Amino acid sequence: MGEVIVITSGKGGVGKTTTTANIGIGLSGLGKKVLVIDTDLGLRNLDVVMGLENRIVYNLVDVINGNCRLKQALVRDKRFPELYLLPSAQTKDKSSVSPEQMKKLVDDLRDEYDFVLLDCPAGIEQGFQNAIAGAERSIVVTTPEVSAIRDADRIIGLLETSGIKKNQLLINRIRIDMVRRGDMMSVDDVTEILAIELLGVIPDDKQVVIATNQGEPVVGEGSQAGAAYDRVCRRLTGEEIPVYDFSQPEGLFGKISGFFHRNQGGTL
Amino acid sequence: MNSPSVFVAKERLKNLLVSDRIQCTPDAVDRLSKDLYYTVSKYMEVTPDDFNIEITRTDIHIRYTGEKN
Repeated sequence: MGEVIVITSGKGGVGKTTTTANIGIGLSGLGKKVLVIDTDLGLRNLDVVMGLENRIVYNLVDVINGNCRLKQALVRDKRFPELYLLPSAQTKDKSSVSPEQMKKLVDDLRDEYDFVLLDCPAGIEQGFQNAIAGAERSIVVTTPEVSAIRDADRIIGLLETSGIKKNQLLINRIRIDMVRRGDMMSVDDVTEILAIELLGVIPDDKQVVIATNQGEPVVGEGSQAGAAYDRVCRRLTGEEIPVYDFSQPEGLFGKISGFFHRNQGGTL
Repeated sequence: MNSPSVFVAKERLKNLLVSDRIQCTPDAVDRLSKDLYYTVSKYMEVTPDDFNIEITRTDIHIRYTGEKN
């Protein structure tokens, strides 16, 4: 049975969609059968980040309303082995899908995949509830900023209240130079405050912007961010790989992710 | 030269998270701490130095470290 992971953050613009795309592509490259689902109804983005926007016929709402069969709505990404996208609707009101319907959909299709990744919309309303309904674990994406970390803390609280116990943190857009100058929170600063297991750290990298412009992934390419996403994917498949802490002097590896297991509370 | 901005960020964040977690203002957190200190001090001998309150996502911990000798 496949693992169902929701990628969420609370705050918008921290890199949920880019992360979903690159983890999906990375896992597919590791030989896994992957389905990525865009759950942001009304604001369809994941297809654009993946460069699949011209191949969409049906979408998530069509599947749930029975306008088409699930197989008809899936877009296979031909560049990668066994990678599928279930796109969101661009024009539907958000209440057209319920958490129960999402849970049923995910339960119906999880057996066919190794990983099902749910790209969650920003916010904590209905769209968030829909996205987490079928998930058993989460990746909480944040950037090292006060507002993003504050929202991540709220989200972690809501996930735990909803019974999702395995929540892992992905810190995006770290800038080593700024951390060293004391002008950006470090990986340790963030994990100390949020106190959930660290899944990975993605450095701020121009290549992400360039790749997104082209609808291409960064994972599997030569960039720093690409290598970081690759390590995240390997960790998700169970490999024990240290989380490279980009705030440390180059050549030194940061703490092993296992060291970040702490009590659930998150002390201040 | 200004002190590194990361200290300001962490301080602001900590205040925000405490008030988010118990859903009240930083001022109310202050008053809560004082009330808790006052209540405990009615029953046992404490000083502000050995009395510590920690608010997490799910719990409020009162740590009393006042072993006298």
